[in-house]
Amino acid sequence: MSTPVIADPASNPAAEPAVVKGGPTLGQRVTSFMPVIALVALLTALTIADPDFLTQRSLTAAVRTSAPLVVLAAGATLVVLCGGIDLSIAALCSLSTVLFAMWLPDMGGLTILAVIAAAGAIGAVQGLAHVLLRIPSFVVTLGGLSIFSAIALVISDAGPIRVVDRDSTKWLNLYVAGYVPMSFFVALLVVAVVSLILKLTPLESFVKAIGYSESAARLAGTPVDKVKVAAFTVSGACAGLAAVMLASRNFSGSPTMADNLLLPAVAAIVVGGTAITGGHGSLWRSLAGALVVTLLRVGLPIVGVPSAWEQILYGAIIVAAVALTLDRSKVAIIK
Amino acid sequence: MTTNLQPHPETDASAPVNALEVRGLVKHYPGVKALDGVDLVVRQNEVLGLAGENGAGKSTLLKALVGLVRPDAGEIWVRGEKVRLRSVVEAADHGIGMVFQEQSLVPNLTAAENIVLGSEGPGVRRGIYRWDTMRKLAQEQLDKIGSHIDPLARTDSLSFAERQMVEIAKVLRIEERTSHPPVIILDEPTSVLESKEIETLFSQVRRLREFASVVFVSHRLDEVLDVCDRVAVLRGGQSVGETPTAGAVPSDLHRLMIGSTGSDDHYHEGLSERSVADSEPRLVVKGMSGKTFRDVDLDVRAGEIVGIVGVHGSGREDVCRALFGAEPTLAGEVTLDGAKLDLSGTRAAVASGIGYVPAERKIEGMVGPMSVADNMTLTKQKSRCAGPMVVPQKQATLVDKWIERLSIRTPHRGTQIGRLSGGNQQKVVLARWLVAGDIRLLLLDHPTRGLDIGARSEVYRLMRELANSGVATVLLADSLEEAIGMSDRIIVMNDGRATKEVACPSGGKPTPLDLVKEMV
Amino acid sequence: MTSPAKADDEVVRAPRPQPRRGVSLGDAGPPIALVVIIGIFSLLSPDFRTIANLQNVMDAAAVLAVATCGISFVLMMGSIDLSVPGVMGASAIAVALLVANNRNDNDLGLLGVLVAVLLGAALGCLSGMALVSLKVPSFMTTLGVSAVGLGIATLMFSGVQPNISDAMLRGWAVNRFLGLAYLTWIALGCVLVGWLIQRYSRLGRYAYAIGGAEEVLALSGVKVAPYKVAVFTLAGSFYALAGVMVTSQLSAGLVQAGKGYDFAAITAAVVGGTLLTGGRGGVLHSAVGVLLVIVLQNGLVQIGVSPYWQGGVQGLIVVAAVSAAVLPQRRRNQVTK
Repeated sequence: MSTPVIADPASNPAAEPAVVKGGPTLGQRVTSFMPVIALVALLTALTIADPDFLTQRSLTAAVRTSAPLVVLAAGATLVVLCGGIDLSIAALCSLSTVLFAMWLPDMGGLTILAVIAAAGAIGAVQGLAHVLLRIPSFVVTLGGLSIFSAIALVISDAGPIRVVDRDSTKWLNLYVAGYVPMSFFVALLVVAVVSLILKLTPLESFVKAIGYSESAARLAGTPVDKVKVAAFTVSGACAGLAAVMLASRNFSGSPTMADNLLLPAVAAIVVGGTAITGGHGSLWRSLAGALVVTLLRVGLPIVGVPSAWEQILYGAIIVAAVALTLDRSKVAIIK
Repeated sequence: MTTNLQPHPETDASAPVNALEVRGLVKHYPGVKALDGVDLVVRQNEVLGLAGENGAGKSTLLKALVGLVRPDAGEIWVRGEKVRLRSVVEAADHGIGMVFQEQSLVPNLTAAENIVLGSEGPGVRRGIYRWDTMRKLAQEQLDKIGSHIDPLARTDSLSFAERQMVEIAKVLRIEERTSHPPVIILDEPTSVLESKEIETLFSQVRRLREFASVVFVSHRLDEVLDVCDRVAVLRGGQSVGETPTAGAVPSDLHRLMIGSTGSDDHYHEGLSERSVADSEPRLVVKGMSGKTFRDVDLDVRAGEIVGIVGVHGSGREDVCRALFGAEPTLAGEVTLDGAKLDLSGTRAAVASGIGYVPAERKIEGMVGPMSVADNMTLTKQKSRCAGPMVVPQKQATLVDKWIERLSIRTPHRGTQIGRLSGGNQQKVVLARWLVAGDIRLLLLDHPTRGLDIGARSEVYRLMRELANSGVATVLLADSLEEAIGMSDRIIVMNDGRATKEVACPSGGKPTPLDLVKEMV
Repeated sequence: MTSPAKADDEVVRAPRPQPRRGVSLGDAGPPIALVVIIGIFSLLSPDFRTIANLQNVMDAAAVLAVATCGISFVLMMGSIDLSVPGVMGASAIAVALLVANNRNDNDLGLLGVLVAVLLGAALGCLSGMALVSLKVPSFMTTLGVSAVGLGIATLMFSGVQPNISDAMLRGWAVNRFLGLAYLTWIALGCVLVGWLIQRYSRLGRYAYAIGGAEEVLALSGVKVAPYKVAVFTLAGSFYALAGVMVTSQLSAGLVQAGKGYDFAAITAAVVGGTLLTGGRGGVLHSAVGVLLVIVLQNGLVQIGVSPYWQGGVQGLIVVAAVSAAVLPQRRRNQVTK
């Protein structure tokens, strides 16, 4: 400590190695390409199982089904990047389908914006509860999950509400350039726009800093609370947009319509390689993850696996993907 | 005083076997050599004091002795037998136990459970607790040290001193594991005890000597001399000497601990060209109180470095964090250049031109997986933006400029900061506050912790340069030496209060001993 | 130097509490709340304060009490368990197919119940193994295991609902002893067993200690991994028994037998005074929490609130209870994930 310096201080740094630790390990390199590898492997497997699968028609159908999942997963990815988790997305999405169906007769084309705004606001409330009350995000959103389900049940009287006015969402069922379903195009647009905003502004630095090390981010003076609330807001708004897609496809809103999308959405995020511990990952990864999950879903019947295995597979995938991407250096004790 | 350590006591066959012996222990951490060939002998039924400044290697040595750290080289001998300690349990099997500085008790269990934890023996049969037996087992241990604590009290309802007794009772359980007298290590056991409690502890230590060997670690040298038979001193990861306590005075030990300063200007005092005595105070703190500090008055002038010293628990870290808005304050008025300072949060502090370098660099200072460039511009985002947009070219130019100015050794600005050595990491963290050129007050919390000598010297030079450019600096130094070497003035904090101000001008520096007197 | 947070406790020492053995004043909150709520509903609704309704409340609490017993041990460790719906679903279907039913010729009776409970234990074990061997946080492993359980249930269900004809199992829900259904007595037995485990077994005490200071256990040479797996296994068996009880109530095995019980159980435990960070609370706390949740549910229905609000009310009280527990400890630079 207080040993006197005999040597010239300037010569000391030279003895010090500039870089002390190695680069990413082989495992890390492989997992960073995991979603793409999984996507290609799945496509290949499905094509071998059923040569008809690789046609424009079935692919179009697959990406069209995937659109709401992509949007849901993309929004929640932001929260995960900040180191939290949003378990309320599916319930909020269900509630939003009900709101959409109920508001449509009065508000017409504006309903889409209104639902997205309402869902975003609800997301913001969760974010505020998280940062102001300092409650772990999974508790807030688990609470949100049951509150939103309850509200949806009450206002819909526990039944589906038919969408009568189909004109205002007709555009969602069109095709871009004749092949790409509009809903998927919108989903891509959401991913691209949000990613671009992150990339071009300091937000990406903020989100990553918060996710990797929240205390360092706070002590560096970054707007931790604001960014977190914003992430929850976007997550909520995405749930609203996904709800519009679902409601326009099913021509109804129902208090349980999207409930079974929670697991696939979480699976999409972790399969994409976004670390559940925060910081590492991207929306593009979740897009790839959502496509993998969708292919599994439509592909299982093709290879002759009963759909009941779907759930088991989700469970296994989530655990395996998290195990592969988890940043263990950060958490000494895993609870 | 010269080194009179005898590294080969086993040559004399008639001498009693040493309870514990360490030979040439070496331990490297990335960038730092924590232990550099340490030798240590603990005789039977003696209390050995272990002294050394922060970073001298004490804690690494102790951890090696209880199997928490595996040395890279060197040997540990227990009662004439070479051993390899791979865990606390193995160390206990050899009769070595440690009372940890940060107590190692489970707060929500009873004292009895903590005492027998991990070796319940007859206290648990087939997985079922026998509370009566458990209580008796614990009572036996508590009786050994004459403690009257209720074994069935919850640990978190006990006072700190009582918990310390529980901890000692727990360590004494290792007696039952070996047939030999145990070696008990006490790591800074007095740091937060009151004088009455310390007396009790000392009588326990003397009692322990009857049937055990004790290694006693404390930064309070008077205590070490009071309770120990012999003191060994570490410096820079090496054993630099030892002395019997009889007749020794603290200054003897201190000289050994810090070594001779020599003529070399380690702290670059030559760089302090300006006198700051007559400039206006930049930071003025009046009666600031928080959870761990009360009525703190403090002022720092532009271009001045003010050190705050104090023992563990003096509250100086929290004063530092409170000034940065990272800890709440309850009362007090703080002004910066005459304007009232907003202490509501870190954002406000940053906006007022305050910078903070936290002690825990790897957890709080930097974002390890992010690049050098992004870490450097994390706070002052405007410096790399045009409007709301990031301009990569602007960032690259700026970051490269600062990499060069601070001679940060990194392969590229895009390299992950976590892959740099500690000194270079710290320079990036410092640069974060400098890139915008608007820094007025810099709060440095142990800025040289864990750095090697070369890197430290560079940080010192940087601090001097910043001070010369008019930045006011508050420094919580890693050692008294550092505080004295770097500061223009030193504030002593004691139990949450600023108790003494010591002028510390170049050429008229106080000695560490002067400060220690005020600190305890 | 330790972190500033540690220094807080050491420097500014509060007037020292007397050494205590048993319950503290803070533990009295939930029982008081329970009495207050019962008082309020008794005033508001004449239907609420009848003996018949009291029986209703007790019987309605049975399944939740058993599930909460299990989750209490997991929460005590500071982990979380979202696998309740999956485990309950799997065991509900399994027991329906193993006792006398309309789908096959099985008639295993109590043995069938045992097998279903073992299935739950196996699923719990799976959660624990994934936690300790893959080091995946428990909320993720249990989310996964819940999906696996539901998948197994769906596979066994295979499109045809198994209705049970086993007299014993059906009787559990119908027959009464001292005014309470057999199921309620089973639940009381579970609470008692759970309390004994928590108080007198090394497993229970270590679960508690893991929540208090896991690193200290490791430092004392205790290998915590087997205890963690054992706790999840124990919890899984409790959930499975809860699933069996649902099958008994419905006289049929349903995949969704455990729907909502994950959240209800967490709510009950948290409201009872168990901290999500671990190390505090226990089976008896949770039992009080269960009564709180059920009384609230029952009372709200009695005064005319739509039963659909049930989940919503639970959501609100869990957020409120957690924030009430967290607020006194919050620090400015605290990391909340």
